[in-house]
Amino acid sequence: MALLQIAEPGQSAKPHQRKLAVGIDLGTTHSLVATVRSGRAETLADSKGTHLLPSVVRYRADELPQVGTKALQHLVDDAANTIMSVKRLMGRGLQDVTRLGEQMPYIFEACESGMPMLRTAAGLKSPVQVSADILRVLAQRGEASLGGDLVGAVITVPAYFDDAQRQATKDAATLSGIQVLRLLNEPTAAAVAYGLDNEQESTIAVFDLGGGTFDISILRMQKGVFEVLSTGGDSALGGDDFDHAIANWVCDQRNIQNLELAQQRFLLRQARQAKEQLSDTAVTTITFADWPETSCPADIELTREQLNSLLDPVIAKTLRATKKALRDAGMTIDDINQVVMVGGSTRVIRVQEKVAALFGRPPLTSIDPDRVVALGAARQADVLVGNQTGDEMLLLDVLPLSLGLETMGGLVEKVIDRNTPIPVARAQEFTTYQDGQVAMAIHVLQGERDLVQDCRSLARFELRGIPPMAAGAAKVRVTFQVDADGLLEVGARELTSGVATTVQVKPSYGLSENEIADMIKASWSNVDADRGARSLREQQVEADRLLASITIAMEADGERLLNENERQAIIKQMETLIVARNGDDHHAIAKQIDILAKATDTFAGRRMDDSIKRALAGKAVDNI
Amino acid sequence: MDLTKDYFSNLGLPCGYQIDLAALADSHRQLQQAHHPDRFAASGEAEQRQAVQTASYLNQAYGVLRSPLKRAIYLLELQGMEPLAPTNTSMPMDFLLQQMQLRERMEELPAAADVEAEIEQLADELLAMHKQLQTDFAAAYEASQLPAAEVVVRKLQFIEKLQQECNDLEGRLLD
Repeated sequence: MALLQIAEPGQSAKPHQRKLAVGIDLGTTHSLVATVRSGRAETLADSKGTHLLPSVVRYRADELPQVGTKALQHLVDDAANTIMSVKRLMGRGLQDVTRLGEQMPYIFEACESGMPMLRTAAGLKSPVQVSADILRVLAQRGEASLGGDLVGAVITVPAYFDDAQRQATKDAATLSGIQVLRLLNEPTAAAVAYGLDNEQESTIAVFDLGGGTFDISILRMQKGVFEVLSTGGDSALGGDDFDHAIANWVCDQRNIQNLELAQQRFLLRQARQAKEQLSDTAVTTITFADWPETSCPADIELTREQLNSLLDPVIAKTLRATKKALRDAGMTIDDINQVVMVGGSTRVIRVQEKVAALFGRPPLTSIDPDRVVALGAARQADVLVGNQTGDEMLLLDVLPLSLGLETMGGLVEKVIDRNTPIPVARAQEFTTYQDGQVAMAIHVLQGERDLVQDCRSLARFELRGIPPMAAGAAKVRVTFQVDADGLLEVGARELTSGVATTVQVKPSYGLSENEIADMIKASWSNVDADRGARSLREQQVEADRLLASITIAMEADGERLLNENERQAIIKQMETLIVARNGDDHHAIAKQIDILAKATDTFAGRRMDDSIKRALAGKAVDNI
Repeated sequence: MDLTKDYFSNLGLPCGYQIDLAALADSHRQLQQAHHPDRFAASGEAEQRQAVQTASYLNQAYGVLRSPLKRAIYLLELQGMEPLAPTNTSMPMDFLLQQMQLRERMEELPAAADVEAEIEQLADELLAMHKQLQTDFAAAYEASQLPAAEVVVRKLQFIEKLQQECNDLEGRLLD
């Protein structure tokens, strides 16, 4: 305990020194940093008074990278060295990235870990490094505004981000020297920004419509605890779809076909402007004044009514996803007390109208939808460093995508279902498939589908040193631990011998945002296909098991216990089963399995008698 | 908190099937307030790890005690029983028949004239059966008729599966 405090006159140490912490919204197109000052959350501006930092980094030889507006200016003249939308590359493998690369003017190279690297004038840069350069600028801005070193930061991620994408985001922060207090889901952050003054219990829907993604989360707020009940959405749906719908309509009206790239860009720009204008006026005119071609179509009028009919099909998709998230949360429309709007595309009046109509109440729009996420993150950061006393806010989040393990036949067995509250720990027991098996490969996956190939592969590792036992006798317990950031650690242990291994899941490759949303969506639309695929795999595994055991028996005793005709009959039936097994009709496989099992009954009986005879051979009757 | 103890004692609730859900939610919230890793954001790694384990335990406990089916299974497991062991499959014939009828109804549902009303009707019936089974379990458990309680647990599991399928069907048909 300090008995004396010595300080300069007029500079006496404050009794309650605030710790400096920020919230960072690391966005696809722009990023923001915010903090809590005098009890108010506010976004921080750069020296010129600008709040939004474009998420763009330009690399130059022998010079520091340019970040933000300065980099943005070189998007066209130095395209290969000017990196934008790097968030879409986070936690991805080279394969996924090259697929995206068709639309991206960057040169990718593989590195040892399989992580994609961008070739720039300043050498090879990974997406994690590019994100770190953006984060560094934001952290510096925070320190300059607040006048001191930061204790840490809360960084927001989309709710649908999987383990690989979260890990990559955390790595970027570490690389930029930021202590990560917590990775926070963007919709949760938005609810926090609105929900703090609200003392009573409420159930909140967060409707987050960005340029290219849609996120919906259902939360319950009670006595300072925010509990996420479900998340859902569609990461291939957003305001860009509005612009395309308008542009397509214009093309139909003026009979425009086979657009060139420049014309397409022109039309989309006009569409976006018209969409924004119609938030204020009832009618607007789309002009072709700078149409990049000689024969210029006539101007065209767009009324708000016509606009609405173009937007409605897109909005309807968001409302369907919203209803699904409500069902997942075990809630109905009537249970929702507040609706929070996030993302630039929620500025569209029609979106607000439709959401209001669905919930029977106007959504909250008082906080700038571009800033609300950063503001909520700042609140959470302030709590985490201990600046708040008394009734503290606590956020209880959920796992966005199910976690599972590969089992026989390329099937996924779910270990933790999506929307399970985190942190969470689960264990599952598996057994060996063959006699004398001494190692087991463990393949961890994330996603909603039944087949391995349709889920995201997170990690593979091997458990070695299992004592040789009969198939099914060794028991391997695999444990999953997901922490509050949604990051996974997996361990495996053989229960009879205690052989163990643990891995921090650090994947080096991944899949596209669209695939993640598709994985969720597809698990609904493909329920029937999956069921068929599952049955097929199960029958194939069964067929392989039977064929393997008969092959072994035939090799051992076939010559001795069967005559030539019997042997040929069994071999013929095995061949029939192999043909069926390689087909895709699970009923046919099941039928052939049955026939083969019956055909080998006699053989099995003779083997049994034979082994008894041999066990008894050479022993006196008295000794039996 | 001693994580080897049972969920009821750690959440400060009397051990039994009848449970005060509001008290359970309150207790879970208060314990998470005290033990969640966010409360140890500035602490060392060992404390963080401990907090992750405690919070995981609390989430697990809350999930089990809140669910009528999982709570029933858990109570029987505390008594050393395995109500859902794969070898444990005997069911009364009348219940199995009823299941088959409900399943047939669900399969024919998409072709019904008023799908929405039919689904609602089915969901209501399933809910009523679910409630009745909860009452049955409480009675059997409190009378220490554990084998009877075990049968009720398996019935509950059947009904919950049907409820889940009914819910999925509703999502698909009414979207």
